[in-house]
Amino acid sequence: MDHVFMESPQGDEIKEVEATAAALSPLMSQGWHQVPPPATGKTNISTEEAK
Amino acid sequence: MANINELIEGFSFGQQQAIVGGSPVPAIANPQIAANIWRQTNLNTKPWAKMPINEDDKAEIGKGHEFATQLFKSHYQNPDFEISKYCSSQFIAWVMAFSLGNTTLSGSAPYTYTTTPALGSAARTLGGVSGVQSLELPYFTHVQQIRPGGSAILDEAKIGCAVRSWKLSIKNSPGRASAMISATCACTGQYVAPSTITLPAATLLNEFNAGTITALSFNGVNYMSGASASNFVSLDASWDNNFRPGYFPGSGNQDGYQIQGRLEFGDRTFSVQYVVRVAAGSPEYGDLIALTTGTSTVTFLRDSNNSFTMLIQKMAFQTAELSNTDGIVTLQITGSQLYDPINGLVTMTTVTPQNGICQ
Repeated sequence: MDHVFMESPQGDEIKEVEATAAALSPLMSQGWHQVPPPATGKTNISTEEAK
Repeated sequence: MANINELIEGFSFGQQQAIVGGSPVPAIANPQIAANIWRQTNLNTKPWAKMPINEDDKAEIGKGHEFATQLFKSHYQNPDFEISKYCSSQFIAWVMAFSLGNTTLSGSAPYTYTTTPALGSAARTLGGVSGVQSLELPYFTHVQQIRPGGSAILDEAKIGCAVRSWKLSIKNSPGRASAMISATCACTGQYVAPSTITLPAATLLNEFNAGTITALSFNGVNYMSGASASNFVSLDASWDNNFRPGYFPGSGNQDGYQIQGRLEFGDRTFSVQYVVRVAAGSPEYGDLIALTTGTSTVTFLRDSNNSFTMLIQKMAFQTAELSNTDGIVTLQITGSQLYDPINGLVTMTTVTPQNGICQ
């Protein structure tokens, strides 16, 4: 399964999520948008698995 | 003199952008490069006209009479342009990405585009740059040519084009016409002539037809299996961005005529109507009376590299009118598409071999 990085509408959080409609719809409908994979070492990245 | 069949059209699958400080930013006034422009056929045979508007001094007093004496350049008010095509994975991905505004790209050959309506208040990625807050949608470049070259009859690139609306229709008829989509496009008035773009060969599209539909359910009623199987007759879904006028101080000029400097969405509308045959115990009327809501799904599946799903997150029935379609008793249903607090309004998912759409 492909994963993508999504950024919150406030720009304060990046989350790695499965690239499925079920996973993306709740985020995109709240204003989350895709961003390129962040550079390693960033601390504000969360994943679905960590949730 | 030229035959209309000589008209060739192309438009960019990538959105317009500029490089500022080494990073791409959205740009209404920057045409896309030739490498990111498709050549596509069009069932609409009318070229995209340019319409400069002039005004006169007829209303001004002090001339001694009521007649006009002078003419003044006013503004470009180009008509909308329709790209009408049979449904294909490439074109439907393009239409949804440019009309709805928030797209996520994943995968690699094939590519999956997940698109939802953009929220103006929320940041999103435009022109390759993230964190953009805007009511504007991605812009594309449109090219039309007749005998391009030294003595071209028509060779121009319209810059700053956006998808105003689209209409998706599914019919119970054979062939490609059973699944069609048309996009109505608007532009600012800016153009380049000659376009300086050499259009490639026409893009080969992977088309759907109504026979490739593998999921068809509305508000809990499955029209692919069970008691309602094969009862579905037709569907018309449409979207309208209701663009606001884009003239403002500093919006720009072309040939001395004012052009629009932005195309912002207004109060958007999403309409769904469909027709089904009536059978004993048909549940649609009961669902309407009970204010039942549920998800609705339409899926085209040509193969593993080409599919499209429209997932309406929460739908109720606004009206269900008993009718007659070609001698068969039917219900004409108008859906009421509700904004679900968790999943939003609608999610379009397209799988296609084409990379870079709206990127």
